[in-house]
Amino acid sequence: MLSLQNVTHIYANGTRALDGVDLEIDRGMFGLLGPNGAGKSTLMRTIATLQTPSSGEIVFDDVDVLAEPERLRERLGYLPQDFGVYPRVSAYDLLEHMAVLKGVADRQDRKSTVETLLVQVNLWDVRKQAIAGFSGGMRQRFGIAQALIGNPDLIIVDEPTAGLDPEERNRFLNLLAEVGENVVVILSTHIVEDVADLCPRMAVLAAGRIQLLGAPQELIAATNGTIWAKTISRQELDDHRERHQIIANRLFAGRVIIHVVAESNPGDGFTAVQGGLEDVYFSTLNRMREQAA
Amino acid sequence: MFFKIASFEFQYQLRNPVFWVVAGVFFLLTFGAMTIDGVTIGSGGNVNANAPVALIQTMLIMSLFFMFVTTAFVANTVVRDDQTGFGSMIRSSQVVKFDYLFGRFAGAFAAAALAFLVVPVGSLIGTLMPWLDQETLGPMDLNHYVFGYLFLALPSVLLTASLFFAVACASRSMGLSYIGVVVFLVLYFTLTGIAGGEPELRKTAALLEPFGLAAVEDATRYWSPSERNTQLPALAGPLLHNRLLAVGVSLLALGLAFLRFSFSERAPSRRSIARTERQRQRLAQVTPKLVSQLPNARPDRAGIARFAARTSLEMAQIFRSPAFFVLVVIGLANSAGALLYANELYGTAARPLTFALLEPLAGSFTIIPVIIAIFYAGELVWRDHDRGLNEIIDATSLPNWAYLLPKVTAVCAVLVVTIGISVVAAILVQLGKGHTNVELAKYLNWYLIPSAIEMLLLAVLAVVFQALSPNKYVGWGLMALYLVASITLYEMGFEHPLYSYGETFANPLSDLNGSDLGSDRAWLLRAYWMGVAIVLGTIAHLLWRRGTGYALTSRLKQLPRRLLGGPGLVALAGLTLAGTSGFYLFYQMNILNRYEVSDAFEERLADYEKKFRKYEPVLQPSITSVVLDADLYPHKGEAFFKGRYELINDTGTPVEELHVRLADSWTEMTSLRIPRGRISLDEMERYRYQIYRLNPPLAPGASTSMEFETKRVLRGFRANDQDNRLVRNGTFLNNAEVAPRLGFDRSDLLADRQTRRKYDLPAELRMPQLEDSDARSKNYVANADWVDAEITVTTRADQIPIAPGNKVSEVVEGDRRTVRFASDVPVLNFFSIQSAAYERVQRQADGLTLEVYHHPGHDYNVERMLDALEQSLAYYQEQFGPYQFDYARIIEFPGYESFAQAFAGTIPYSEKLGFIANLADGNSVDYVTIVTAHEAAHQYWAHQLISAYAQGGTMLVESLAQYSAFMVMKRLYGPDSMRRFLKYDLDRYLSGRGSEAIEEVPLNRVENQGYIHYRKGGHVLYLLQDRLGEERVNGMLAELLDQYRFKSQPYPNSSELVNGYKQLARDAGELRLIEDVLEKITFYDLSASRADVRTLPDGRFETTVAIAAAKHYADGYGDETEAKLDQLIEVGVFRDRPGFDEFAPEDVLASEWHPIRSGEQVVKIITDERPIYAGVDPFSKFIDKNGEDNLIEVADSQ
Repeated sequence: MLSLQNVTHIYANGTRALDGVDLEIDRGMFGLLGPNGAGKSTLMRTIATLQTPSSGEIVFDDVDVLAEPERLRERLGYLPQDFGVYPRVSAYDLLEHMAVLKGVADRQDRKSTVETLLVQVNLWDVRKQAIAGFSGGMRQRFGIAQALIGNPDLIIVDEPTAGLDPEERNRFLNLLAEVGENVVVILSTHIVEDVADLCPRMAVLAAGRIQLLGAPQELIAATNGTIWAKTISRQELDDHRERHQIIANRLFAGRVIIHVVAESNPGDGFTAVQGGLEDVYFSTLNRMREQAA
Repeated sequence: MFFKIASFEFQYQLRNPVFWVVAGVFFLLTFGAMTIDGVTIGSGGNVNANAPVALIQTMLIMSLFFMFVTTAFVANTVVRDDQTGFGSMIRSSQVVKFDYLFGRFAGAFAAAALAFLVVPVGSLIGTLMPWLDQETLGPMDLNHYVFGYLFLALPSVLLTASLFFAVACASRSMGLSYIGVVVFLVLYFTLTGIAGGEPELRKTAALLEPFGLAAVEDATRYWSPSERNTQLPALAGPLLHNRLLAVGVSLLALGLAFLRFSFSERAPSRRSIARTERQRQRLAQVTPKLVSQLPNARPDRAGIARFAARTSLEMAQIFRSPAFFVLVVIGLANSAGALLYANELYGTAARPLTFALLEPLAGSFTIIPVIIAIFYAGELVWRDHDRGLNEIIDATSLPNWAYLLPKVTAVCAVLVVTIGISVVAAILVQLGKGHTNVELAKYLNWYLIPSAIEMLLLAVLAVVFQALSPNKYVGWGLMALYLVASITLYEMGFEHPLYSYGETFANPLSDLNGSDLGSDRAWLLRAYWMGVAIVLGTIAHLLWRRGTGYALTSRLKQLPRRLLGGPGLVALAGLTLAGTSGFYLFYQMNILNRYEVSDAFEERLADYEKKFRKYEPVLQPSITSVVLDADLYPHKGEAFFKGRYELINDTGTPVEELHVRLADSWTEMTSLRIPRGRISLDEMERYRYQIYRLNPPLAPGASTSMEFETKRVLRGFRANDQDNRLVRNGTFLNNAEVAPRLGFDRSDLLADRQTRRKYDLPAELRMPQLEDSDARSKNYVANADWVDAEITVTTRADQIPIAPGNKVSEVVEGDRRTVRFASDVPVLNFFSIQSAAYERVQRQADGLTLEVYHHPGHDYNVERMLDALEQSLAYYQEQFGPYQFDYARIIEFPGYESFAQAFAGTIPYSEKLGFIANLADGNSVDYVTIVTAHEAAHQYWAHQLISAYAQGGTMLVESLAQYSAFMVMKRLYGPDSMRRFLKYDLDRYLSGRGSEAIEEVPLNRVENQGYIHYRKGGHVLYLLQDRLGEERVNGMLAELLDQYRFKSQPYPNSSELVNGYKQLARDAGELRLIEDVLEKITFYDLSASRADVRTLPDGRFETTVAIAAAKHYADGYGDETEAKLDQLIEVGVFRDRPGFDEFAPEDVLASEWHPIRSGEQVVKIITDERPIYAGVDPFSKFIDKNGEDNLIEVADSQ
């Protein structure tokens, strides 16, 4: 459905934000995972026709995105990483305005679009309040509502869950999951669970390149038997860092659980565990850093 | 804490774009005022552009307009926290009220003071610009700038800052603060308007006028150019008190602000809580309209909805912004000032006729729309970007035109609304002045619609610049460049409207001729520029910036592909419109007519002078008879003339050459026949000059003739010039414009000193000296001879043609009307030809037919004009001798010019001058009668006696006409009311001295300087008749007339008149007075320092007036030397102050001539009644720079 070939973007200051990105994305949710500064937003904006890459090709369905951005925009829903609003304008009015801009020409169509979406994103009760006063989650829900206007074929959401509390995040991801069945949804994020929970396919983008591509389940399965964990005290962490390639650590009940990747048991009190997507992600990043070093 | 808050506030204001916008605007304003020719504040003539007085005035005027800025700064400090909700946080902190309030005030005031610094800096940088004429600059002296800024302007800035800070503290609202500004301005303009019309109130105004303008004006009013160029007004007297008062009032306002400002937040009222609750319940009851499948977008059908939604959003953005309100209020204040006093003359108001209001309105509103367009184009184009909504919106399928057009529409709509509001202001002014004939159609057709198109052009340009700029500031900068370029390029000689974006040129208005003059050209230019705007708009559409990483270059790459289809067609339509109209305009302006820039025109005049002035001494025969047929087609802009001159050689020597000149470039000579004359030099094309050699030469006393045909055919229109004389309705031509003259004369040489120097001409051509007896061979009205004239004018049947002479026949044939005018007495070869659809009002008086021809509806002052003609001709016949015609007529002409002019028995009178004066207020100066009497007097002083072209020449014409008019006023209104008129002329004489470009001369040597021959002349001749006796003076004048009536060379000059006066002197004192006022520049300084009254034993009252007196002679540059005063001067005691409105003859208890000498003295006057006022020269008959101290209230003696 969406195909990127050798997309490269170099900013005026010489930063190589995208470096030969090739991607094929089909219907359904696609997770784009990467650390901050990996080039995710550049890639999202490029696909969303807000930026032209230095070179490369982007085709969606039958649309040559770079040559005819107008045609893609008619099929696009885009939620940028962060966005502002007009002061003193209510959620209802701004959503209606967005509906006009997206080409929902008929007044009744607009009314049903706006009201259905407001209910869907659970903003109906606060529809007459100024968005400027919304919480982060409410604002993101408004953002997804506007992205869904007019049944787009391609939905791009850039870092949508950053800063949301767990309940807000859940509600948001559910919304995405609902729409993500028949269209292409690209979810860009640096939060592994977002992808793990939602996306049948994913890629890891770092340093402007696609480092890893596949289905989360398969990627996790590939790590079977290579992930080892150990629970240590915080004082021991530095000591272990010197001895092992720790790909992840997290606090649990005041102690630290560390993960390492190894083909065989590294000993030293590690036990085999079932790896998660997080381990896949972090080991990919680790590997990449090692190669770079 | 105070300083921390102040410095935070200061930095906050500096980060605010308002600061930079304001600084930019005010910099441009002052820089422009300094560097653009024709824009002057306080300078001109011999006064340097950077004269200290001019610099100070600039600063003070700017400080007045700056009040909107200071208000924005200081009110923002109070209102901001409530708006952002930050207020409660701050107030709950440990900040004390004093620190909080005044810390912020201090910070904001410092920012305002810093922003205002661009005003002196703008002037200063302006003076460094290389294209300024160095002759108009004095040495740079930083003290002038510092003094003006620190001591004069800064207190004004402080005053407005404090006042409106107090208003903001009390109201906690930006809107109310600005309403406060409006109220302040309305009061300000009303009060200063009243005070400005009354010289008596000047001292009070000097003290109280809040910006110090009146105080500076008062301190420098009668300064000579050399004083203006070198001196600063002393910070003393009223000026000092005024500035101290401003600071004092500021402190008071700050104190009040402190008291009124409450630190606690205002809790929401019970009503607003209830309202919120009700709204919540109402919303809860609505059930949403739900669908299981969202409707699809149909971008192809959404065009109208998108345009409407975007446009209303853009417009709301502007209309709701406080800055819009501010700008409109500035514009309104500006136009209110222009409208309230529009066309005022002698302090007498004009009727607010629509046509006469629109020009001042448009003039005062020119800069505001440009600023609005510049500012809002930036705001709108960059709004989504600034708000962070651009990515969402740019990723929608909204086409580029749906960004562009709504923004253009919104900016344009706002501009039109602004203009609409100015129309409302104008209508309110009309209604407020009791003028109920509101001509909406004229507002619409002459102002709103043309302006709307021009505003649209401006909006397109501003939006397009923003669309192509990498950020808002670059866009603003480009527009500022455009603004500067559009002004300076014209000054630099790039005058063609086809390359000056949006230029449509003047379209002057008149009730007679409607908007006809320049209207076609303006509309074609509008069409042309609309076409250009469409092309520009298409380019902006194609290059619209979407997203974040779109460089202009990558947008340019896509341009050709996207041009195909709709955009291409639109661009093509625009190109076609611009191309066809542009081609047509070019054909009209450059092919049919010659396009000549001002510099080229000036150069041609300079060359003409260099090549032909050598012929000035060549004597020419006199014309004795003129026959002229004028055939006018006013609606076609065509006129054909056929004439015959009879000539006689009265030079005393053989005449070998006839020098023929037809200066007016609109008229062409089609044939010229001189018997036995052969053309020997033909420079008609470039210099409008031909020389015919006579073979044999014309012997002394011999006669010959000359026949000519000329035509004035307006072909299309010129680029930078238009003929406002031959027009559809209201044609007013004079013979110099349509018929050849003989001999070189100076009437159309370059006059401006700087321009003359630029072309290596002597800076000035002085008139021949009074003593030069050769000069008596030419007269001062372009050496026009006394002739018998027969003028036939044919015009459209629905118009009335008028020329000087008795109407001897009138024939209407088909659609042509022919009227023949013949004179049975000699008239000057100087006549007018007029034609319009007039209404005629006639009156028979004492054997004379008096007529006024006026535009239907302009009948307000017609009876008064007839009265004035009747009264003045009656007086002149009685006093000076017979009136040579049996008719006198006044004919209205379109208000493209504002004057009245006397031809033989025929007085063209501007629509804007007397016809719309409002004399309903009996206390206003009846200038309609004065001007009419003045022009009627020219039937004697010009049309019976004409003076030599030499120094003092105009004294016999203009001073005597003004004197005669004064005598008519004296008869009509009584001698005690004359002070009003005398004061005005005295004031204009004294202030006229300040703009003298060469040197001031005594009246008897006046060189056509208006302030001397009209203003001083009328004033001192009035004094002389008062002293020498009206009958005796008029008798002498009648004799002079008898001696020179209809006499050709040698023409009389002022020595004949001065001698006449001297012969009337009965003693040395009178002789000295005559010499002082006519042959010298003399100033009297008279003042009454004390007046005590005591009751005499017989019940009468004796008033003792202490008088100080001095006399000074001035040289031509204003340097004065003291001289001994010993003169009879009036001393009087009164019941009321002379010159004030209610003053009546009965209020004069006694007025006696007493000998007054230099120094202190007392005069005693005994009256039956107790006087209230006493004074020396109470009616301002002497030339005294300070007439206010002549009168004093009478006190009881101890």
